[in-house]
Amino acid sequence: MYKYLLCWRYLRTRYIALASIVSVMLGVATMIVVNSVMAGFAGKMRDRLHGVLADLIVESRSYEGFWNYEEVMARVKEVGGDDVVAMAPTMETPGMLRINRGGQAAESRLVQIIGVRPEDRAKVGDFAEYLFDQEGNRIPPSLEVTDAIRARSPAGRELKELESQPPDPFLESTREWLETRREEQVPIHGAFLGYALATYHPGDGRDDIFLAEMGSKIALAFPMQAKIPQTGADDFAVVGYFKSGMSEYDSTHVYVPLEELQRARNLIRPSDGKGSVNQVQIKVREGVDLDKLADKLQLAMEKLSPMFFHVWTWEEKQGPLLAAVAIEQSILNILLFLIIAVAGFGILAIFSMIVVEKTRDIGIMKALGATTGGVRNIFLGYGLLLGIVGSGVGMVGGLLFVRYINEIEKGLSLLLHHKVFDDSIYYFDQIPTLVETHTVVAIVIGALVIAVGASVWPARRAAKMHPVRALRFE
Amino acid sequence: MTSHIAAVGLRKSYRKGKIEVPVLQGVEIAAERGELVAVVGASGSGKSTMLHLLGLLDQPDAGEVTLDGRRIDDRPDRERDRMRNRTFGFIFQFYHLLPELSAVENVMMPHLIREGLFSYMRKRKTIRRDAHEMLERVGLGHRATHQPSEMSGGEIQRAAIARALVGRPEVLLADEPTGNLDAATGQGVLDLLRDLNRERSLTTILVTHDQQIAHQADRVVRLAEGRIEEWAPALV
Repeated sequence: MYKYLLCWRYLRTRYIALASIVSVMLGVATMIVVNSVMAGFAGKMRDRLHGVLADLIVESRSYEGFWNYEEVMARVKEVGGDDVVAMAPTMETPGMLRINRGGQAAESRLVQIIGVRPEDRAKVGDFAEYLFDQEGNRIPPSLEVTDAIRARSPAGRELKELESQPPDPFLESTREWLETRREEQVPIHGAFLGYALATYHPGDGRDDIFLAEMGSKIALAFPMQAKIPQTGADDFAVVGYFKSGMSEYDSTHVYVPLEELQRARNLIRPSDGKGSVNQVQIKVREGVDLDKLADKLQLAMEKLSPMFFHVWTWEEKQGPLLAAVAIEQSILNILLFLIIAVAGFGILAIFSMIVVEKTRDIGIMKALGATTGGVRNIFLGYGLLLGIVGSGVGMVGGLLFVRYINEIEKGLSLLLHHKVFDDSIYYFDQIPTLVETHTVVAIVIGALVIAVGASVWPARRAAKMHPVRALRFE
Repeated sequence: MTSHIAAVGLRKSYRKGKIEVPVLQGVEIAAERGELVAVVGASGSGKSTMLHLLGLLDQPDAGEVTLDGRRIDDRPDRERDRMRNRTFGFIFQFYHLLPELSAVENVMMPHLIREGLFSYMRKRKTIRRDAHEMLERVGLGHRATHQPSEMSGGEIQRAAIARALVGRPEVLLADEPTGNLDAATGQGVLDLLRDLNRERSLTTILVTHDQQIAHQADRVVRLAEGRIEEWAPALV
């Protein structure tokens, strides 16, 4: 009984020991905040990566792709059965984008050109959720160049101005002339342009500037299928913007109609008029083990055409990025845990001092019949109690910090006259956080183990103290 | 008749660096049940060491300590801890109350050490009452909730006596209990010890260098050059 009483009294009377657990507290709080924010970011990033990529991708090793994609899709359906929810054939190729900005000015960019059937593509992922018009409204997944798009071209805008004027013959001929100009200005095929490709971000809270407005013409160049490498080119009208929030995608992706890309790249087989694709994107039922299904599909594809296909899961496709995030998080955790380990040495030092200070008390307790184990347990219990207080306060503090992180960020930004969390980089309006219970529990247990571990040595010293020498200690 | 507590041929020496300093060289001492024996001797003569050996705080190099004729110094640690808690009561010159605890909690200490958490919870009322009664007995009923830092030297020593006796020990070992007190207070403490010794027929061994104090004991022995000699007949 005396052990509990003394632990409790020591905790309440030794403020120096409480000082030693401030570092435990800060360590625990920091680890919880950092892990929650990193988990939040990683989770958001995974969502977005997964939204852009389908669950599984059957990809050919050559850029020319394969013509028998219907056969491939049938095979996938056969192997996957009900697990396969939707499929979309896709042609992906690197290329060059050129945005004319009137006069001599033009922007050229390296891009990833993706030929899709937008409705199909929308079924295999969150593609449709990332499509916006120039005003920031969501638009349906359609690459059709509508009259509304045409009306946004320079000639279209002039035509609109003429509408309100009273009819006269001169106006009529002007209108006809403008209508032909409009057809020339707006290509017949539409494209969704990556948002970061289409805009310039001035920062400082000012609106983004559009380099390629809706209805404007963009030119794409890409490799054509031929014996010797050749470049093909085609014009497209911007019908919307692709904004996933992953800058890697938003600054490279250009979506165009699959059939048009096949035609322009000379990938339509003259014998039957079929075009080739180099990917089949597959959405599977929720809860299906992607790796297992990928293995099964890989086997089926080998039978269809050996060494030609590769079946990826979306995570494999983004392997290096996801792995990098995981490594970052674990290294950060190791470093932060060292903070708590340092705190452990603080506890060790202060405990050693307390044991020396308590030498006579230990002698008295032994004279009154306290056992060696009992004396040891006083200090181990004291260490545990300090650990509980430190990690408990740290945990509450950390969780509160995470809960109000956006408010704290705003306060800090005001105080420093500088935006701490620049939302234009991630396109998040708030700092994403995710508190994982198992992480919090692991951190708290780790801190407790360190606190108790640091008190083992002083506790053993106290327990081993000879009662007579302890009583004579001055 | 066997003595209540006795030591036969006790030897103990300490090491100071490479030199071995003999302190006790065959001490023979015995006390009957209920007897108050005073041990006098110059400082450094080994009085405290002898008391520590009798109270199982330390082990002799040779010789033995017996209680009711049974040898107790060679018992295993756990049993020695238990005997220190139940059979012996200690009083020290420098009082040694635990500074974090109030007077009554200090007096409860032997019980707190004896009982585990659950048995304490069961008996806590009796334990608290015993401690309060003991404090009343030594005249400190009004000081029960005070911290040691708020008490005078005499009060602290009386609280220490209460602590030594609350567990109803058979043998009280007092190491210069009045050594740090002025004459009047010291006499008060001694009167208390004398009364308790009679009330409870408590075997008491009292170490002192004050002859005035020693003369109030049933019997006085002298420790000199590591040996005990009968010194003078008690005057009481």
